[in-house]
Amino acid sequence: MSAEGITKSFGATKVLSGIALSVAPGEPVGLFGPNGSGKTTLVNILSGLLLPDAGTVRFDGKEITRLPLDARYRLGIARTFQIPHPYPALSVREAVRVALVPRLATRAVNAGKRKDGGGTREDEEGPTEDLLARTGLFNQRFVPCAQLSQGCLRRLEFARALACRPKLLILDEVLSALSAADEGDLMELLRAANRDEGTAFLLVSHNPPLLKSLCRRILVLEEGRIVRERTV
Amino acid sequence: MVSLRGGTPPARSPWRGGGWLATGIGLLLLFPLSSPDAFFLDVFTTGFLLAAFAASWDVVGGVSGQITLGHALPFGAAAYSCALLTSFAGWPLPLAVAAAVLLAAVVGAGIGALSAPLAGPFVALLTLALGEIAHEVAVGHTFFSGPGGYAWGGEGGIPVALPWRDASPFSSYYAALVFLCLATFGMLLFARSNSGLILRAVAGSPITAQASGVPIARFKRLAFTVGSAFAGAAGAGFVLHVGRATATDLSLELSFQAATFAAVGGRGTIVGPAVAAIVLHVLFQGLSLPPSARVLLYALTLLVTLRFFPRGIAT
Repeated sequence: MSAEGITKSFGATKVLSGIALSVAPGEPVGLFGPNGSGKTTLVNILSGLLLPDAGTVRFDGKEITRLPLDARYRLGIARTFQIPHPYPALSVREAVRVALVPRLATRAVNAGKRKDGGGTREDEEGPTEDLLARTGLFNQRFVPCAQLSQGCLRRLEFARALACRPKLLILDEVLSALSAADEGDLMELLRAANRDEGTAFLLVSHNPPLLKSLCRRILVLEEGRIVRERTV
Repeated sequence: MVSLRGGTPPARSPWRGGGWLATGIGLLLLFPLSSPDAFFLDVFTTGFLLAAFAASWDVVGGVSGQITLGHALPFGAAAYSCALLTSFAGWPLPLAVAAAVLLAAVVGAGIGALSAPLAGPFVALLTLALGEIAHEVAVGHTFFSGPGGYAWGGEGGIPVALPWRDASPFSSYYAALVFLCLATFGMLLFARSNSGLILRAVAGSPITAQASGVPIARFKRLAFTVGSAFAGAAGAGFVLHVGRATATDLSLELSFQAATFAAVGGRGTIVGPAVAAIVLHVLFQGLSLPPSARVLLYALTLLVTLRFFPRGIAT
C-alpha cells in the first residue's frame, strides 16, 4: 500500500497535512505518535472509513482512495478498531462466520459452485474452527460477544481481521490496555501471520518498545505530519 | 497459544420451542372441528394473515434492525394491485397475485435503497413518511375516482374479482393457516441463512460488519425486499379474504400493529411476532370493541411490554 499527499481537515482544524507513506508486501511497519497527532484519522483513511480531502491511496497498483471499508476488506486490507464494536446478539463463532462469509462466497462464485454469492455451512466449518483455535477463542465460541472481556474482544478483532487472509493488517492500538498474557498471545499471533503468511501490517501504538519488538520500520507522526522514520 | 478459561454454554438450537409450536398448530387445525361461530373463524383467518404480516415486519425491523413504520406500504400496494389487476385489467387471479407480490418486493427494494444510508430513527421517519404518502393517495378521491360506478379509492376501496362466489369460512381458515405456516417457515429459513446472520450482524454493529467485508447497504436493501415480498403475499391473501382493497391496508395503524406484535412477541424471532399477532388480534377482536378502543389497547400493550419485557415476552 502507498499513500501520497493525504490531507484531512475537520472544519477549521487540519488533522493531516500531505502524508506520504508506503508499506511493502510482508513488511511490518509501526506508526507512533502522541494523542491528537492524527494516527486514527490516517488509519481511517487508509482503511476506507474516511475520505481524504486530498491525496491518493494505492494498493496492489490500483488506486483505492474512494473504495469503501468493505470493498478494501475483500481486497485483502483488514483493520481492527481501537475500541471494538462487538455484535451484541451474536456468539463469538457467529461473529467469526460473518467475516468469513464474504471471502468464501467470492471463492464459491469464482469456482462456479454458487451463483448467488452464498457459501455453504460445510465450507465455513473448517476455517471458522481454525480461526477460533488460532486466536484462543475456541472455548468461548458460544459466548455472546457482549459478554466478552476486553482481552477476548481484541482476540475476536484479530480473528475477524484474519478471516479474509489479509495482505495488509491495519491495527489501531490493538495491543494497548491488555493483560500480559493477552498481549503476549496477540503479539505471537501477529508475528506468525507475518512470518507464515507474509501478511504486512501497520501497527499503531503508543508503546515504543512494543513497536521495536514487532516492526522493521517505525514512522513517527506529529501534528499531522510524518516527522521521522526509523529502521529497527 | 494460551487457552482461555471459562465455561462453555451449550449452543442454543435455533428450532427450540418447536414442540410448543407444533402443539399450537395442531390445536389451530382442530379448532374448526369444534363448530365455532363463523365470526370467530373469520377473526382467526384475519389473525393468520396479520401474523404473516407481523413476521414479515420482523424480517426488516427485528432481524435487520431497521425499524419501519411504513410496512403497510408493500402490504397495501399488493392488495391494491391484486384488486386492480383482477377487476380492471381482467388478469387471472394467480397471475395477479404473483404480480402483486413482485410489486411489493420492488416497493421494498425502493424503500431499502432510500433508507440504506440512514440509521435508527431516521429509517422510521422515512418509512413513516412514505407510508403516509401512499395512504393519503389511496384516500384521496381525486386520484382514484374512475369510471364504472365504483367508489374507487377512498374508504370504499376497490373490489377484487374472485373466481369463486362465496368461499366457506372453513376453507378460508385453512387456506390462511397453511399460508401462515409456509410463509413463516420461509422467513425462518431466511433468518437462519447466511444472509440472516449477516443482517443480525449489521443490526448489531454496522461498522464492524462493514469492516468484515459486508456491503451493508446491499444487505439492508435485501432485508426490505424480502420482508416486503412476504408483506405483499400477506396483503394479497388479505384482499382475497375481505374482497376489496381499501386505504386502511396502507394505514399507519396497520404498520403500528405489526411493530407492536413484534415488540410483544420478541423482535428477531419471526415466530414470536406471528404468535403475538394471533393472540392479540383474536383477543381484542373477540371483545367486539370499537376500532378506536382497539388502537388504545394496542398502544397500552406496547407500553406495558416495553416497560416489563423490553426484549419481548417470548425472549
